[in-house]
Amino acid sequence: MEKDTVHQDGKTPEALAITDHKVLVANRGEIAMRIMRACHGLGIPFTALYTAEDSASCHCDLARELGGEHCLYRVSSYHDANEIMSVADASECTAVHPGYGFFAEDFRFARRVTKRDRKMIFIGPSWKIIRELGDKINTKRLARSLGVPTVPGSDRPIYDEAEAEHIAKSIFEFQESQGITHPLVLVKASAGGGGMGIEEVYDPDQFRSVYRRIRNYALRQFKDEGVLIEQRIKDFNHLEVQIISDRSGKHPVHFGTRNCSIQSTGRQKRIEVAPGFAPETLDYSFDAAKVLTNIVEYSLTMATKVGYDNVGTWEWIVTRAGEPFLMEVNTRIQVENGVSGCIAHVAGRGSVDLIAEQIRLGLGEEIGYTQAEIATEGVGLEYRIIAEDPANNFIPWVGKIERFHWKDQPWLTMLTHVPTDRPYEIPTEFDPNLALAIIWGKNLEETKERGKIFLDSIVLEGQNASGEALRSNIEFLKTNTDQILHF
Amino acid sequence: MLNISELLESIKESPYRDIVIRTPHTGCLSFPDLAIGAEVHGPSSQWKNKPGTLLATLERERNPKPILAPEKGELVELHTELAGTFVEAQTAVATIRHRLTREEVEHIILQKALFLFRAPERAKYYFTPEMDKKIHATESHSVKVRDGMELLIMSRMKREVHLQYSGPDGVIYAIYFKYNENIDAGAPLIGVCTQEQLPAIQEVIMRIKTEWAGR
Amino acid sequence: MIDNNIEKRIVALQERLIYLKDIFAGKHADDSDLLQDRLASFSRKLRSDEVSDPYTDIASMEDLFSYVESKLDSSVTAMDRVRIVRHPQRICLRDILENVYDTFTEVGGQDEYSLDPSILIARAVITRHRGKKTYHQPVMVIGQEKGHGAEFRNGGSVKPWGNAKAMQFMRVAETEGIPIHCYVCTPGSFPIEDYPGAAQQIARNIYGMAGLRVPIIAIISEGGSGGAEAISLADKRIMLSHGYYSVISPEGAAAIEGHLKEGERASSELIEHCAENLHITAKDNLGFGYIDQIIQEPPLGARPWHFEFFRTLRQEVIRATDEVIISTRALPLLKTLAQNRHARPTANLEHLYIHWGLSAGARSRLVALRQKKFLRLSRSAASDKRPMYNKVMELLSSYITKPWNSFKYDFYRKHQRKIQTFVEEIDNEWETFKYRLLSPWRKFKHGIEKKNNAKGEALMALSEWTKDSRRKKWNYLSPRYKIDKTLTCPNSAEYGCLDLWGPDLFGEFAGVCSYCGYHFPMEPEWYVRNVFDKDSVIEFNSEIEAGNPLSFPNFDERIRKAQEKNGTRSGCMTFEARIAGIKIIVAMFMGTFRGGSVGAAEGCKFVEAAERATKNRYPFLAYVHGTAGMRIQEGTHALIQMPRCTVAVRRYIEAGGLYVVLYDTNSFAGPVASFLGCSPYQFAVRSSNIGFAGPGVIKETTGMDIPPRYHRSTEALARGHIQGIWDRRQIRANLKQALRTIGGRNLYYR
Repeated sequence: MEKDTVHQDGKTPEALAITDHKVLVANRGEIAMRIMRACHGLGIPFTALYTAEDSASCHCDLARELGGEHCLYRVSSYHDANEIMSVADASECTAVHPGYGFFAEDFRFARRVTKRDRKMIFIGPSWKIIRELGDKINTKRLARSLGVPTVPGSDRPIYDEAEAEHIAKSIFEFQESQGITHPLVLVKASAGGGGMGIEEVYDPDQFRSVYRRIRNYALRQFKDEGVLIEQRIKDFNHLEVQIISDRSGKHPVHFGTRNCSIQSTGRQKRIEVAPGFAPETLDYSFDAAKVLTNIVEYSLTMATKVGYDNVGTWEWIVTRAGEPFLMEVNTRIQVENGVSGCIAHVAGRGSVDLIAEQIRLGLGEEIGYTQAEIATEGVGLEYRIIAEDPANNFIPWVGKIERFHWKDQPWLTMLTHVPTDRPYEIPTEFDPNLALAIIWGKNLEETKERGKIFLDSIVLEGQNASGEALRSNIEFLKTNTDQILHF
Repeated sequence: MLNISELLESIKESPYRDIVIRTPHTGCLSFPDLAIGAEVHGPSSQWKNKPGTLLATLERERNPKPILAPEKGELVELHTELAGTFVEAQTAVATIRHRLTREEVEHIILQKALFLFRAPERAKYYFTPEMDKKIHATESHSVKVRDGMELLIMSRMKREVHLQYSGPDGVIYAIYFKYNENIDAGAPLIGVCTQEQLPAIQEVIMRIKTEWAGR
Repeated sequence: MIDNNIEKRIVALQERLIYLKDIFAGKHADDSDLLQDRLASFSRKLRSDEVSDPYTDIASMEDLFSYVESKLDSSVTAMDRVRIVRHPQRICLRDILENVYDTFTEVGGQDEYSLDPSILIARAVITRHRGKKTYHQPVMVIGQEKGHGAEFRNGGSVKPWGNAKAMQFMRVAETEGIPIHCYVCTPGSFPIEDYPGAAQQIARNIYGMAGLRVPIIAIISEGGSGGAEAISLADKRIMLSHGYYSVISPEGAAAIEGHLKEGERASSELIEHCAENLHITAKDNLGFGYIDQIIQEPPLGARPWHFEFFRTLRQEVIRATDEVIISTRALPLLKTLAQNRHARPTANLEHLYIHWGLSAGARSRLVALRQKKFLRLSRSAASDKRPMYNKVMELLSSYITKPWNSFKYDFYRKHQRKIQTFVEEIDNEWETFKYRLLSPWRKFKHGIEKKNNAKGEALMALSEWTKDSRRKKWNYLSPRYKIDKTLTCPNSAEYGCLDLWGPDLFGEFAGVCSYCGYHFPMEPEWYVRNVFDKDSVIEFNSEIEAGNPLSFPNFDERIRKAQEKNGTRSGCMTFEARIAGIKIIVAMFMGTFRGGSVGAAEGCKFVEAAERATKNRYPFLAYVHGTAGMRIQEGTHALIQMPRCTVAVRRYIEAGGLYVVLYDTNSFAGPVASFLGCSPYQFAVRSSNIGFAGPGVIKETTGMDIPPRYHRSTEALARGHIQGIWDRRQIRANLKQALRTIGGRNLYYR
């Protein structure tokens, strides 16, 4: 196969009609499968990847089924951008879909895709937006400049000890004035991330020593001694707003809200629900409908301001007092996009595939509908089915799955790369998600009920090298189903 | 104690190991002027810093990378039919028939003689930073381990778990895992030699030295 | 029956014949054949008793030898000289000690039982008379000992600790106030890095000698590059007529000129050619001014039986020592008188006793004279194209700035503390007063704030923030960032680094592997533009041009190409710049200009920069983007930059300056072994290599294979050669900190 540096008709990738494109699916597992199906539905050819470790995954089967034997390439790693570029060139792809994880929020990857000699389209926001919103301090400052509420505390790295102490003191006092009984202050390295260099302070007298420890850690680790000081909010719900926009960046629309408050101890989502609250059926200590309207408005304001040009999620925390604070913006498609899609209608047509929308808009089509034409109906629920031990700190279980099946339902969408017709060894390299179950019901009650019916129907068995039986989170999901949307 | 003579005899019966050389990643292959049957050599010099024979060149993203022979041996397969084509990762490029060296025989036999600390799960393994420093800084066979000591980091499912050594006290005599390589559950990670065992192990090595040397 | 005496004389002649054949390496075969035939037939006749008067015949035989030797002496080439000084029959330091000095005691060990048998250190005595009085004048004799080919002497190739021993005893001589006689008989230093390190120790020696407060006389027989410089920064440098003094061995030069790979041998023609063009003879070096005097040797070079030569040598070292002593005298009349008396060729120095001790004032004058002597050297070897006007202005401005700076630093700084305390106290009083005055108003204001309780809002409002330093943009990106290709990190096998995309690597990443931190080399411009304050860099002396002072064949063209490639006239760029407002003088050696080799022009610019830093009292940074060593095609013009630039550094540091060296990419040989290695503050950029000789040269000269990372900066740090390793992206911050902390309150000026 020869590397082709000129596209058909010598057009730049932006100038092609969407069916003239070819999409490189730069991901694995269920998301790769959803992207392939979306491409197939749109009439766009694709190329898929896999690694030797992952050759038993169903995404390989689906690729062969939908795209033929030659659309699948074995690469050394999903983490190696060079492999993705190399296969894209060899298979003459014109666009790259990163899915979630891996390169989805890597602005350098997006930049490379669009700036290399043989240019392609990165199906996601433009790299500058990824960079801008990927920086938490930047996002926080942008929000504040637009009057969007953010967690009380500093919005820039603090280098001065006296200033740091002053801010910490204010945060403690503020919480006391709010009637919070055990106020907490969070000190974190501004250059850090991923949970490194973060510490909680519960005692104002303790602040100075924690501050110094974090500052020294930051200097050693990140060569920058700046720290952020924020209120640590413990009692909250995790909400998010689904935004989508075309390449013009001028007409962002939203697909409502989601509630992702049911999480593992390590803050990993386990159940997601759309919409974010159910003020019609449940009682809240605050005006939940207004909170939902507000966070949607705030999210759209920010999206418009930065000219957001693809799918994205604005993540919020809502306190028991009903105050929303912007946490961060995820500049990618999210795992749980399906719950929003399943309750949405556009111009009367039922359920929306947000991934297909993402591809369509990413390749340059106009959005073609307005906010007024988007409506929602019912309640959507997503379970993340994982081999793990919820009783034991959610430790992933590794081994071989021997039996995996469930009862199909018209209201159920099951997304999985785990084969049901043969045993499957769980690869140890990746996220431990095995399957996503998306359930629709016309109201909260029905959705919960159907959720339990589904969970009862599922069979997931296997054993590991030492003969221990598979552990899964199904019981955890079941117990928590009653809790959804309660606050 | 194990029967070294018997072991040696069985190894002597087929003293070869076929090494299949695969592409580390995707790319376009080209081949040097090399024929099947050629004698190739692995990295040489005291520090193994002189590269082995060039078997093929794999170019990806305008970065040609040599694929080199890892060991000495006879070239029994060379897939020159792939020249000029784009290949996937882990495509077989060549096969080398390598005659076992004394060190390798030692390695095989030692694996049977040493206490092997095995991988509890399929994962990637690393030494803890302190251990890593020690192992890099000191001579081999001098890093001591004792029961309950934090020795390795097991990395899988994006989680890192500290792993304690369990087994007899002794020195690390052999390391069986490589950086960034998945190790199957039950595969040996390190070989440990206890203080009492040391003379016996040294004797094994002497035996191999004398019996393998002439060949 | 043959007379024992005759037998001995025949053996001696046979030795002379072997010597003659060896040093000419096959040339002049007709002459040597003639001698051989005649000697053979003479001994045949002698044995068959055909000779009637053996004493007359052997004498005429000796005359014939002398005649042929004299005849051939005029045709001795440069390479023949190399063979002469390396010949086992060549006089060695022990011969000199026995024949030139009256008594001596070895203090640096004995034969094999020595820290380093290739260096010999002895306390020697010269006895002189005035009238009936006898004077014993002690001297410290230091030199390389070749020991007539004795294996353990290592050919006079001194190990780092041998040079350290030499320095130790120079200090002893300084304490005792006795002169030092250095005999240079080395093909070069033993190029290993073990502590104290070949390069670093030579640097320490040169730096030490640049300020040693006793007379130093150097007598050069074999002056092989850095090894020679380690003991030859002297008040007087004398060369033996058949010696050589060179920046590199002709074989080494041939290996470089012939682009030889490890293990390959250069042809003898190429070696001859290099020896010739390097201008390594005594006459050449006298012409350049790098030595002060030549002592004539007997035809074809001095051997242990040339007793007359030893007498001459004794006279000349005494004369040289006397002259140095006299030159330090303060009264001009007495000085001239003494100088005239000594200059007379008939003067019998044995009876012209001069006391060799010096007063404190004379010692200072001695050091100043020595430093100036070296600073003056080689000025004509670099082509200085600065317009006359500039030079005059430079001179003029120095007349103005000097007094101002000495006011500013010597007077003001001294009294600054007092002035400051005074001002602070006044200020304190004022603040207290103000506080009392305004306290009613403050109470009122505070009350209003409390009512508003705006705390929550303030915690959620956008704060004032002007400089976002986190997403630092480089002022300069390597042009390689435009090339769409990937690169493999050299550490990838070890650390699993994935290939890096060129535009990321050479742009945002500043050439640093994002997986393991390996530093890919960057262009010199990267540092100029990214380390110093924007637009603060002002280059000076850019008109001083690298040239071809030895007219080395084809070298003009190569220098011109380097100039075109780099857009500079030499491999050293000197500039004034600021780091966070702190002014600093920088000399940058560019690895992209002929490997960053240092020749007369580069040395000249370095010395000028050091002097400028002294004059303006700025910190002085030597940023070594890369240097392969002294520029061999300039011969001793380049070599002399080692002592010369070190003298400039020493003067700067002693004036109170802060001299920081930062090594990058590869820094080797002469520069490291002198003006760079002598800095008390040496740092290296990550992934750089620092050392004396590269792996090929080490293999060639010592036969040793060295491990792959032998010269890595981490190794240099572990050996104690450098003080720290810096990440490239942190150079600016680290320099800022170094200037603030090492320089202290007054920046750099003590």
